[in-house]
Amino acid sequence: MSLYFIKSGLQTSVQDCGRSGQMHNGISNSGAMDPIAMKLSNWLLSKPLDSAVIEVTLVGPKIQFENDMYIAITGAKFELYLNNQLIFNNKAIQIFTGDVLTFGTLQCGARAYIATSIDIDVAKLFNSYSTHLTVNFGGFYGRSLKKGDILALHLPKQKCLYTNTLPKYVDNGYSGSYILRCTSSVETDLFTQRQQNDFSSKKYTVTANSNRMGIRLKEVAMGFEKPIDITSSGLMQGSIQITPSGLPIISSVDGQTIGGYPRIANVITADLAMLGQLKANDKVNFMLISNEKAIEVLKEQYQILNFLYK
Amino acid sequence: MNNDKYRIVPNGDSAITILFNDDISEHLTKRIIGFSLTIKQSLGEALIDIIPAYKSLTIFFNNRIILLDKLIGEIELLLSSPLTEVSYQSKTIEIPVCYEEGYGPDLTSLAQHCKLSVEDVIAGHTQRSYLVHMLGFLPGFLYLGGLSTNLSCPRKSTPAISIPAGSVAIGDSQTGIYPVSSPGGWHIIGRTPLTLFNPNSQTPFIASPLDKIHFVSISKTEFTAIKKSF
Repeated sequence: MSLYFIKSGLQTSVQDCGRSGQMHNGISNSGAMDPIAMKLSNWLLSKPLDSAVIEVTLVGPKIQFENDMYIAITGAKFELYLNNQLIFNNKAIQIFTGDVLTFGTLQCGARAYIATSIDIDVAKLFNSYSTHLTVNFGGFYGRSLKKGDILALHLPKQKCLYTNTLPKYVDNGYSGSYILRCTSSVETDLFTQRQQNDFSSKKYTVTANSNRMGIRLKEVAMGFEKPIDITSSGLMQGSIQITPSGLPIISSVDGQTIGGYPRIANVITADLAMLGQLKANDKVNFMLISNEKAIEVLKEQYQILNFLYK
Repeated sequence: MNNDKYRIVPNGDSAITILFNDDISEHLTKRIIGFSLTIKQSLGEALIDIIPAYKSLTIFFNNRIILLDKLIGEIELLLSSPLTEVSYQSKTIEIPVCYEEGYGPDLTSLAQHCKLSVEDVIAGHTQRSYLVHMLGFLPGFLYLGGLSTNLSCPRKSTPAISIPAGSVAIGDSQTGIYPVSSPGGWHIIGRTPLTLFNPNSQTPFIASPLDKIHFVSISKTEFTAIKKSF
């Protein structure tokens, strides 16, 4: 029972919802960078939503299946081929032993997720199957998959009897230009009103240095008359830190748990999944909103995607 | 909420950070750790994680269960009674460090900067015991307090691309050990053969907050022997 990686892709790894509750030990959450797309792939196969999946980044893999099963691919849109036949994402796909799945050109977004009806066989560490790629533990030997790897699957418990169909209202186009909504952070008050205005009036470009630790942006957000010195404290996912040279870094799933750069704002929970779909040269704007509004937006998201939040 | 003892500020829409006005000290860390236990009991399943730091406590909560304003109210109530120090049986952990050539590439330059001999730096580093204020940054990284001011040295302007796991380093007024191989801007003065993060072990971390760390100088031969024994 396995998947054979004929090609690995750029950064293909085993992920799930991540390991929460370990930040006080220095262990970041990890897990899928777009948890909505990740859960959706499991939902399409009627699997527990936190089952381990394969995260694909920018350049996808080529995989041979050693068993009959179903798969579902969600998130970033790629040209997809099954034995050279064009197939589509966001639906269950029946696979027969020997079939070969090929990821072609990326059309939009940055990360896709492959769910398999048969569970991926990797060990749980700190209650998660996810791979921490900067520290190299968890998932498949703590690393991304390489050409020639064989990813083991469990013995199927039962046949995949029924699959779900994506509701039409779930829009998952990725335009490449995004507004990230954010709320106040620990050091927001230490920035001048002018600096805060500068920050939210600019359009930023995502740089190629971005990864699962953080999204690094081009375009200086602001100048500093004097540096903001802070004592390091707990750093949440989505924190927008401003480096001494004025460049913003948005902390992400594999980011450090304690940080020393001042934070001007934090991306709201409802928009965190979008960070997983940012790629080099995408454009980003920030919009500061109230905490009440952030919770309202989150509630709307829960309502629209209620099948992902059981 | 602002007063002379602390400030509570939002840290996004699912966390708050309590910033204490006191100076960094063992006493403050004992109260922070003590308070984190109180919060754990009080919040129950609404709490996702709680991250102590030098002068702060970050509370990561489930905003589907509790709202930020309500949480701030609850925390203020808990803070209205005086914070008591946690009663914790502090362990002293000896960490063997090889300061010899090839293990501490920046030892000589740091000694020059501090206008000390290499022997003085090693003596200064091994004489004291250091308090673990918190874990963070990387898995198992210990934030230590108590470095002699004579040994402080500004961070490198260009961080090294890859520092081997176990490297013992000084950056500004802090000393620490890189638990895993990573980039970093601190000055490497030695290396420990111990593994600071063992994800597969029952005890993945070498120390907890409020433990004490004592560095012990070892030779290359001892380094190799300890490394082999793992």
